[in-house]
Amino acid sequence: MFIGSMKVQFLFCIAAALLVAAYGEEDDNDGARLLVAKLIHNKYLVENMDVIVKYTVYNTGNAAALEVEITDNSFDPDNFAHMSGELNARIDRVPPNTNVTHTVVVRPRKPGYFNFTSAEVLYRRKEDAPRLQVADSSEPGLAYFTSYKEYDKKFSSHVVDWAAFAVMTLPSLAIPFALWFSSKRKYEKLSRNTKKH
Amino acid sequence: MSGKSKAFTKEEELLLQDFSRNVSTKSSALFYGNGLIVSSIPIWLFWRIHLIDVYSNLISFLLVTLVSTYALAFAYKNTKYVLKHKIAVKREDAVTREMSRKLGEDKKMSRKEKDERILWKKNEVADYEATTFSIFYNNALFLAIVIISSFYILKTMTPAVNYVFSVGTASALLALLSTGSQ
Amino acid sequence: MKYLTFFTIIQIITSVFTENCQKPEVTALAYITGDATILTQIAFTTQFSLKCINGIKGISLYAEVNGKALPAVRLSAENKYQVSWTDDIKTTFSGDYSIKLYDEESYSAIRKAIRNSEDPSSIKPLAVIVLNNPGIYMGPWINSEFLAALLAIFVSYAAFSAKSKLLA
Repeated sequence: MFIGSMKVQFLFCIAAALLVAAYGEEDDNDGARLLVAKLIHNKYLVENMDVIVKYTVYNTGNAAALEVEITDNSFDPDNFAHMSGELNARIDRVPPNTNVTHTVVVRPRKPGYFNFTSAEVLYRRKEDAPRLQVADSSEPGLAYFTSYKEYDKKFSSHVVDWAAFAVMTLPSLAIPFALWFSSKRKYEKLSRNTKKH
Repeated sequence: MSGKSKAFTKEEELLLQDFSRNVSTKSSALFYGNGLIVSSIPIWLFWRIHLIDVYSNLISFLLVTLVSTYALAFAYKNTKYVLKHKIAVKREDAVTREMSRKLGEDKKMSRKEKDERILWKKNEVADYEATTFSIFYNNALFLAIVIISSFYILKTMTPAVNYVFSVGTASALLALLSTGSQ
Repeated sequence: MKYLTFFTIIQIITSVFTENCQKPEVTALAYITGDATILTQIAFTTQFSLKCINGIKGISLYAEVNGKALPAVRLSAENKYQVSWTDDIKTTFSGDYSIKLYDEESYSAIRKAIRNSEDPSSIKPLAVIVLNNPGIYMGPWINSEFLAALLAIFVSYAAFSAKSKLLA
């Protein structure tokens, strides 16, 4: 009885394994499995200034992922200037337990709220995989692009404006001071001279 | 210091006081003019650096500048008055020497006239130094208070509110301080 | 065992058929994020196209920058690649960054050399892209308003002490 049930279980396991094998991508133990992170490396998000978007692909599977293609359609050219790096990239091979990064620099054209959504990744889990595997990257989420004016106010050094301010204030300080000081010096000299005599 | 000049001190003081209480229109214009210039300078700071909206704050600029001009002119006047006495005492010796050297050769002039001339010169020197120093002193303090208040104390407020309070407080504080030390 | 032999055969065949890129010509565009005041990292990105005189296309490329291995990512246009990475703001230096590009063959040779602790610099890269970092803007060295406040306080202090001297 005990042996019999063991046999049944064993057979069931084989059946399950076959089923999974037939469906390919549902098998977690075989082939590549990619985790994709999409991260923004900015302290501040500002209109018309660089935003670094970095995609990190990490293979947790036991085989190399092949023909890995990252596509990010979330940066619409009407709203973003693409500074450098392409939003569609292919990596031939990502070996197991390694990561590969891809970096893109964009600039938001206008201030306001923006939802950073996920990028899509297609890949082959093994050499003979019949279908491409789809994975979504992490979502950085909702962010706010500060207007350049706002940013400038906070962070610009306004050197020229301060210099102009100095030029404006200088006469109102230097002229009365110089007049006072020259008179003071003249009479202090006189009184010193008289004391010497 | 000779005994003669000491005998004049009381009269001198009366004369000096009399002179300084009635601020001449010329020095009054100087005070208001200076006050107006210095009071309007912060507008630049708020426009360029605090990025205040110029058009919606035109009335505020006008009113605050006028009030501040008045307060500063008041502060200049009071500071000058306080300083003038002290400066007059300090310069007494030197002015007397300077004037007697100049007038000494003039034999025609009577002693009384000479003394009056010296007294007048003393008043003039003290007035000049007190006026120039008062302007310098109040301008320096006004600008310092405006900068520190607008960039540090009232930093979190909106530019419009920041402007009214920074410039308003700076000029009011100086007006108040000038009466306090009188 | 059978599987292994099959795999080796494939390998041999591919290596017979893949020619090396002859006289590679690289045209590159690069961008480095220059304003560190708004960033947490510095991004280095370069996109380039590779032209081989013998017309080879679509080969895998590997890059090495300052000892860091990076795969060259393929872009949508043919024979266009991208190499990009990010560095900490603190470790970024201004000057030249040379990106050495290797094909599969020379890259595995380098790997092997490193494994056997031999000198990897003996293996010649396919091409080298030089990225010049003119310097990263870290913000003003002194805050203008702080300087202005400091000067204003200094002048006020001078005025104040002069006044108390006069009143003394």
